[in-house]
Amino acid sequence: MTLLNGIPPGFILILGAIVLLLLPATARKAGAIGLAALGFLAISQLEDGSRLFPTLLGFKLTLLRVDPTSKAFGYIFTLCAFAAFIFSWHEKSRTENTAALVYIGSALGVVFAGDMITWYVCWELMAIASTFLILARKTERSLKAAQRYILVHLAGGLILLTGILLTVHETGSIAFNQFPKGEIGSWFILLGILINAAAVPFSSWLPDAYPESTIMGGVILSAYTTKTAVYTLIRGFPGWEILVPIGCVMTLYGIIYALLENDMRRILAYSIINQVGFMVCGVGIGTNLAIAGVVAHAFCHIIYKALLWMSAGAVLYRTGKSKCTELGGLYKTMPITMVLGTIGALAISGVPFTSGFVSKTIIVATAEQNNYLWAWLVLEIASAGVFLHAGIKFPYFVFFNVDRGLRPKEAPKPMIIGMGLLAFLCIYLGCHPAPLYNILPYKTNLESTTFSAIYVDHFAHVVTMFQLLTFSALAFFVFLPWLKRTPTISIDFDWFYRKGAKLFYSAMDRSLNGLNGAANKYVIKTFLPALARFALIAPATLTAIVLKPVWRALDPDEDSLAKRHDNLVAKFTTGTLPIAYSAVCVLILLTLLILIGNATR
Amino acid sequence: MSETPKKEFVPDKPIVSRKFWMALWFTCAMSVLLELTVHRHKHFDGVDSAFASATNWFGFYVALGFLACSGAILLAKGLGLLLKVREDYYNDTP
Repeated sequence: MTLLNGIPPGFILILGAIVLLLLPATARKAGAIGLAALGFLAISQLEDGSRLFPTLLGFKLTLLRVDPTSKAFGYIFTLCAFAAFIFSWHEKSRTENTAALVYIGSALGVVFAGDMITWYVCWELMAIASTFLILARKTERSLKAAQRYILVHLAGGLILLTGILLTVHETGSIAFNQFPKGEIGSWFILLGILINAAAVPFSSWLPDAYPESTIMGGVILSAYTTKTAVYTLIRGFPGWEILVPIGCVMTLYGIIYALLENDMRRILAYSIINQVGFMVCGVGIGTNLAIAGVVAHAFCHIIYKALLWMSAGAVLYRTGKSKCTELGGLYKTMPITMVLGTIGALAISGVPFTSGFVSKTIIVATAEQNNYLWAWLVLEIASAGVFLHAGIKFPYFVFFNVDRGLRPKEAPKPMIIGMGLLAFLCIYLGCHPAPLYNILPYKTNLESTTFSAIYVDHFAHVVTMFQLLTFSALAFFVFLPWLKRTPTISIDFDWFYRKGAKLFYSAMDRSLNGLNGAANKYVIKTFLPALARFALIAPATLTAIVLKPVWRALDPDEDSLAKRHDNLVAKFTTGTLPIAYSAVCVLILLTLLILIGNATR
Repeated sequence: MSETPKKEFVPDKPIVSRKFWMALWFTCAMSVLLELTVHRHKHFDGVDSAFASATNWFGFYVALGFLACSGAILLAKGLGLLLKVREDYYNDTP
């Protein structure tokens, strides 16, 4: 088996995909399963260390860098591919088969890349190949979703490329290791990766695109893009504390949107963001144990998430429906799919004796050990929330809830075999995690690796997890009427310009136009006319005050007084004052001025 | 734990049955009683804050599970008023 030792596993799948393209459907499908198995075998034969150094444009590439981290990701990538190809036996399309193999192959290429050029080329190849898994649905919606998907990933890829160029310029090396802190190039690379990791606020591409893919596409897509992003974060950014809050926000965002969602595959898409949030947070904590926990969680996550997508895919395959408002009561005719899907749902929730429990616990425990009090609290809240949306909501609304008269047949055998394999792994790894723990990096940091160490010695933790989950379930059923599904979708961050901008416009409209109206009413219509009237009347009134005693002395009759007053006002308002009055006024004014001037000298 | 109660599910009714509720309450009560039998290791020993010490109280996870989920549901309900739109909002055919 030394033959396989020097071959990058990604090449096996990509070259195989080209060969399979020429074969008839059955051979092609069997070939894909075989290639996944061969890839797994090749990875198991790889010895640690870096090799294969071709030169490109004067740079020495590293096509194969093998260590426990890359091997662990390699194992799960090929294992998931194996189950997914069995599950997708119904799929005859040439496009999907080839696209899936190239996509998985290039994901393996990223995982085993030891330099940034190989990484970047494989990264872009992943984006292109995965787009075909969405296009293959061949609906108008999937076409549009695929267009948006590729645009986001090309933009993300360009940001990554900018970062790589800046870093190479700065350091002179293309080595793909930990990136220097505080360098602008590192920040660009981080941003490029976070877009692929579906970090908030760059997350909307995932629930937009994945649910529009084919049945097989959804299963395959759920595993690779976000997890290669997690892998590159482990390689390049362990211990970058900014990742802790980013991960925490992702976990909560996933829960809230999954609760609002009606489409079962979109619920699962949001829960990917939630789960990747745990991993991003773990990378941010960055201790050896945390990194081991992240790898373990990525491993288990790929298994149960693919299983969940498979069960949703089986339902979609049999009923043609994916909305909770149109599904329900399927446990009657699809009991095996229901049981297997529920195992995936329990595993993602981290229920004891499932794989989620033995992996997520490590990340949460490192948050606690390193005194990340708030991050720890958010992760615990998110653990409860996962059970709420993926653990109960997904199976409840799809398989139970109301019987809508759907009587589909049970999922076809290959689908059941694919799901069964992953469901077995969910429970096997939950009860016996040693095979998983043994392939992790920094495995010596893991104290409890046996069944009794986890479930007997740490029984207190089992009890607290049990409490967290049962009371989450209680909350779900207490608030069940509030969770009634509606045939709606939820706006993502585009809210800010679609709804927020409208709200801003109307707020501005009301406040500024209100201000305008008030100014018009009080200043223009009331104050200014009053001022004009005052300017007109005031001189007459003042003069009348001065003249009144004179008039009274001349003729005390009230009627004649009033007459003189009206006469005076009329003369002032029409500007027809006799010269004498004006002269008297000017005289008075000048006298006043002189008096005031003298007084203030 | 949620699997067992689901078998009690009464078909063709949109609401969960009385038996289901009893099973759920029983499981919840069991989980609380179990805590009496175990000794939890102390969380955040070196952190000097009231909240850090509260994490070690009896029933902390009970409260956390229920409150976190109720909070998430209420928050989602509230945000739904702002965020939910018709399926053809983006001019796509639903």
